[in-house]
Amino acid sequence: MFKNLVVRPKNIVVALLSLGLVAGVTVAPASAAPKNLARSVVQADWLEKNLDNPDVKIIEVSTEAGLYERGHIKNAVKFNWYTDLVETVNRDIVAGARFQKLARAAGINKNSTVVLYGDKNNWFAAWGAWIFNTYGIEDVRLVDGGRVKWEKDGRPFTTVVPTPKEGNFVATKADKSIRATLIRDVLPAVRKKGTVDLVDIRGADEYNGKIFAASGFQELAIRAGHIPGAVNVPWGANVNSDGTFKTVAELKKLYADKGIDGKKTIITYCRIGERSSLTWFVLSEILGYDVKNYDGSWTEYGNGVGNPINNPAGTIWGAA
Amino acid sequence: MGSSVISAVTNFGRGSGDSGTSTEVSTWSKGDSVRTGLAALLVVGLLFTAYQLSDNEGTGVNAALSLLIGSALGIAFERGRFCFFCIFRDAIEDRDTTPFLSILSAIAVGAIGYAVIFGQFLPDTSSDRLPPNAHIGPVSTALIAAGLAFGIGMALSGACISGHLYRIGQGSLRAYPALFGSLIGFGLGFKSWNTLYSKSISDAPTTWLPHYLGYGGSLVLTLLLLAVIAVVTIRFGKNSTPLANPVATKIDLASLRQSLLINRWRPLTTGAIFGVIGTFAYLRIEPLGVTRQLSTTSRTYFEGQGWIPQNLDGLDLMAGCIAVVSTAIVNNGWLILGIVTASFAAALAGNRFKFQQITWRNALTALVGGMLLGWSSMIALGCTVGVLLSGTQSFALSGWVFFATAFTGAWIGIKLKLHKL
Repeated sequence: MFKNLVVRPKNIVVALLSLGLVAGVTVAPASAAPKNLARSVVQADWLEKNLDNPDVKIIEVSTEAGLYERGHIKNAVKFNWYTDLVETVNRDIVAGARFQKLARAAGINKNSTVVLYGDKNNWFAAWGAWIFNTYGIEDVRLVDGGRVKWEKDGRPFTTVVPTPKEGNFVATKADKSIRATLIRDVLPAVRKKGTVDLVDIRGADEYNGKIFAASGFQELAIRAGHIPGAVNVPWGANVNSDGTFKTVAELKKLYADKGIDGKKTIITYCRIGERSSLTWFVLSEILGYDVKNYDGSWTEYGNGVGNPINNPAGTIWGAA
Repeated sequence: MGSSVISAVTNFGRGSGDSGTSTEVSTWSKGDSVRTGLAALLVVGLLFTAYQLSDNEGTGVNAALSLLIGSALGIAFERGRFCFFCIFRDAIEDRDTTPFLSILSAIAVGAIGYAVIFGQFLPDTSSDRLPPNAHIGPVSTALIAAGLAFGIGMALSGACISGHLYRIGQGSLRAYPALFGSLIGFGLGFKSWNTLYSKSISDAPTTWLPHYLGYGGSLVLTLLLLAVIAVVTIRFGKNSTPLANPVATKIDLASLRQSLLINRWRPLTTGAIFGVIGTFAYLRIEPLGVTRQLSTTSRTYFEGQGWIPQNLDGLDLMAGCIAVVSTAIVNNGWLILGIVTASFAAALAGNRFKFQQITWRNALTALVGGMLLGWSSMIALGCTVGVLLSGTQSFALSGWVFFATAFTGAWIGIKLKLHKL
């Protein structure tokens, strides 16, 4: 029902080229096919035409208080990242049963197309997309450029809060293949170098251990640096200056230049896992690689007793 | 210090500087034409600046709206003489409680507006969530102390923070040491915050009426309480001035000008205007407040000096006029610029602009009073506008507690004759 909705000619060329690649120019791993049948990024034009489409469910995940209330895309339901998409007591992603209830209340059915957008370059919306994928929604997409681009293009917002009919979505068991944990995935990857590609999406200073966290973030790790073997591709490299995703070809090249071509499983991480969910989305949903997001991220790894780190800057003991 | 100076300072707004209400239409002079022309130019300048801001990538529509909201406030402050300290002092010292009604009318109209917006922002009041950005704060002993200190600071410095801001536009010179004092006071507030937070604020309940009564019940209770206060106030006011008489029996341009530019606006009207502006401000940007920019400036400076802790515990979780560390002008800065400029325009047009005399002595009391105002605004997360008005309009218990304690503090200050030092 939904095709690849790429309006940019260069993307069509790229897509055709990619098809050529998959068709046998190079040997792509079996897992490289996108999990979603439909293209996972929607353009605002398409969304404007589908605002009232009953099969399309729009979710806003922004973290700035009052943003949604003062104006949002028509028919969008608000999810609160801090309380709806994570567990507040034990550090974890939202439990399946609670998520099912939340999604049903938002009118989401098994076969819904879920379209997410938010503030801050879709960071938290991308976390939402990762969670929806975790619990078995087949068709999950992000709005290219998020809230900022929508507003910049002069598209309308409304303050009317929708009251959707209860959906029939059933959460599957959490999909472990897209989530990395310290014991199961990260430490083995560190021990057996070269089996997994690690991508650290934080800024260069954080990656090199010069600083413990970007300014303004209070939750720190006791040590600075990065997971041994990780390459540094800051999340901002995925997007253009207006917040839209770069083309498939640009993204492929960006990661290939760092030695990441999708032949191995990839683990993405940042400080708490929300910005890296955007990189997870790019690598997994746009490029079709096999990717796990490590939500424990540096605040777990850098605080763990006995975890080896790589700290080129040589800083010891942070918040002193 | 000469007694004439004392009376010029302490009676500011009651004497020649404010025509109060007159049923006589004053004659229009050439000077009036010049002054009104200048005032009109200032208003055009504000509109043009807002237009520029809205087009600018870095500032945008919210900065422009903040400037316009501030301009509306500046005119209403100046024309309605909406200064909390003057209003309290008129009631306590002169037993003229008519101006006090403007506060009650501001809360009543604002509460209706907030109830309407809350119903859409947070339809379900049964969860423990609070509506976004509304100034609903914890009710702690620190808040009580801050309210009392704010009242005393008002008495010492002669006005509340918004009062000082709009009086700059009327030519007040004491406002400068007072506002400078408030910047120091904010610094002292940041210095004492972590201690007060762990001892008092962190465990204090954040009581919000709609959690118990819903929006309808909260609004009914608020209006009932205001009605009771109004009755008590009117009975207490032995020497209250009557609500303004109309200037003329029939409408003409001269009488309209007299009502708009010369005579003090009626208290109920002034209050209603504040209620409406407060509602619009909350709908589009954030609740009204006048201390966010001041405290941000103070925090940025003192943090740079290393005098205050970098981590202010729990502050990010609070709602109110919270300071951030920023060298850029926040929206609230544009709001304040609007208040000062528009108040100046209004004072010019009504020929009320006059430099007030300043002495070492009254500059010192303004400075010390300002320090109290700053400290208490930091601890209470706002002032008479940000906590008292925006808080009570939001059905927050913290707003009412600040109202009662700031009034009590002003009472103590006046009984101790601090405003006559």
